[in-house]
Amino acid sequence: MSNQLLYYSPIETAINRIESLLEDPLESKISRRSIALLLLQKDPVLRSQLQEKTYFSEIERIVADTEAYFSESLSSVIAESRHKRAMAIEQDITIQPQQQRAFKNEWLHKLTVHPVTGVPILALVLYYGVYQFVGVFGGGTLVDGIEGFFESHINPFVNTIVAAIFPWQVIQDLFANDYGIITLGIRYAVAIVLPVVATFFLMFSLLEDSGYLPRLSLLIDRFFKTIGLSGRSIIPLILGLGCGTMATLVTRTLESKRERIIATLLLALTIPCSAQLGVILGLLSQEPTALLVWATVMVAIFLGIGFLAGKIVPGNASCFYMEIPPLRLPRPQAILTKTYVRLKWYFGEILPLFIFASILIWAGKLTGLFDVLVRGLEPVMLWLGLPKEAAPTFLYGFFRRDYGAAGMFDLHSSGILAGQQLVVAAVTLTLFIPCVAQLQFMFKERGVKKTIAIAIFVVFFAFSLGYLLNQLLTIMELSF
Amino acid sequence: MDCHDCHQTCQPKNQKKGWKLFGINSRKSVKNNIDRDSQTNVALVGLPNVGKSLLFNLLTGTYVTVSNYPGTTVEVAKGNRIIAGESVTFFDTPGMYSLIPITEEESVTRDLIMNENVNLVIHIVDAKNLGRMLNLTLQLIEAQLPVLLVVNMIDEAAKLGIWIDENQLAHKLCIPVVTTEATQKVGLKKLIAKVADYVQSTPVLFTY
Repeated sequence: MSNQLLYYSPIETAINRIESLLEDPLESKISRRSIALLLLQKDPVLRSQLQEKTYFSEIERIVADTEAYFSESLSSVIAESRHKRAMAIEQDITIQPQQQRAFKNEWLHKLTVHPVTGVPILALVLYYGVYQFVGVFGGGTLVDGIEGFFESHINPFVNTIVAAIFPWQVIQDLFANDYGIITLGIRYAVAIVLPVVATFFLMFSLLEDSGYLPRLSLLIDRFFKTIGLSGRSIIPLILGLGCGTMATLVTRTLESKRERIIATLLLALTIPCSAQLGVILGLLSQEPTALLVWATVMVAIFLGIGFLAGKIVPGNASCFYMEIPPLRLPRPQAILTKTYVRLKWYFGEILPLFIFASILIWAGKLTGLFDVLVRGLEPVMLWLGLPKEAAPTFLYGFFRRDYGAAGMFDLHSSGILAGQQLVVAAVTLTLFIPCVAQLQFMFKERGVKKTIAIAIFVVFFAFSLGYLLNQLLTIMELSF
Repeated sequence: MDCHDCHQTCQPKNQKKGWKLFGINSRKSVKNNIDRDSQTNVALVGLPNVGKSLLFNLLTGTYVTVSNYPGTTVEVAKGNRIIAGESVTFFDTPGMYSLIPITEEESVTRDLIMNENVNLVIHIVDAKNLGRMLNLTLQLIEAQLPVLLVVNMIDEAAKLGIWIDENQLAHKLCIPVVTTEATQKVGLKKLIAKVADYVQSTPVLFTY
């Protein structure tokens, strides 16, 4: 074959020797030459596959013999030959400008990654993109509008209709009144979660397609090193602001097991998902001090836990290497499609769950089981300085994070949760156990033992911190 | 090799949709992913962030998340398109740098091309960094896999003053080469025509 790449002769000899050792016919879909090269590069998967073979020791000897010829590792010698060839081909078939190749918007790239300018840019993105757009506009304006419409028009209407059709209180409660499928389940989904998630996904798609996220990784890498993570892990963590479940799956892109564990823990503990974030921003933005306390506590915990985890979880910090794609002007159509598809999925996912939750609450109330659980949580609420009416919210919160957040919104608008209690509830709910779906993915990705350990830690930590925060705020006499 | 009749529809619809989001495209393990009914299986491979998912969307008409950052796809997604009268199954794969995987999601791709019946491997590269990307092409050729090279983002390369002679590249590597600009659907027809060559020349390996 004319396109065959030839390596240094000791390597070619070794390839030939290994090829002749491999049995006939070959099980693999790839060539013997390729297998020989993989073995020379000490490919772990192939080695473990061939471990049992009688000729494995012979291969080991050939590899060792060949290694003796070079001062560098065989992997780098082989990689170098390929690289040279690849570069030679590129040289031959491309016409390139003589001057330094520079991205057209190099200056913009530099602005986003240089700490002096990058941090203010990040602050701007967070302030306008997340706080103003998702929190104030999505979680405030839109939620208030749709929610108000539900409260003033749809709910009374549904209550009357249902009361007219079903004479029995039990059935009425299933569809309407305080915990009905329509008045609670659908209202939560449409009025509270939908506007928040829609604005978040829109903003997120915009950031994704512009190429800003990898630059954020670069900017934050140094800073993340101290907590045992590489800049690469910013992507799953930011994805976690969209949906913790997805983010847990994306931790796969991290190089070391250690990084994956730390990222999973941080996702489960400190990163609020989009619905939670939006509702919390919407609620707390009326009280800037409250928002500041919440944000400070979350950042402090993120750093503190990250730092401790970085010390405790065994392994070495991996070095950071990532493709930096060019900054691109996002295409509106691509953004809208992406937002629409995500939203459709999200909504399709949560609507049945919210309806199911309403039914569950209804059934729980009917059988008294719900009351038992709520009563069990009530002392915990009082311990946190929260009204006992907050107990159901925590119960929902486990079922779906967004459901719990929506419940908190409800408590606040009915005047039950205010000031200090709101901050404590927001912090505790953010830290509290991830939703069932995220937990399921943690099991899948991290295994049973690690997941249970993380879950127990998270529950314990959330309530303890809530307690401490409540005490601290009382002592400091901060008023909101 | 028995046919377990696994069409796409046999996966729970609801669940499947979710993982398309944030680039999470399918929960099924790669092992069961190969479509036994389809005569031609085509894997789209390449370094992260070269446009595999976008091309996949264009080729199959299904939607998987596309983003401008590496690592959007972490699992294999599949979709079909009728080419030259035959159903061709395309696989969108997580990005990989070389045949020796570093991270978990890279090994997913390697498993697919090394252990499954893939009739064509489409290696997608970024025209702006051709030299750095051909490394993997060389490895795929070395493995004697049927490779087709797609040089994507020629528009961005042209803006930087880089011009690529695709015929000469094809000649050097002894494999078919297509240049594309996936965001504008430029080169897509050419690519499909090239894949069609493969469909027709695919020997019927498994008649039952």
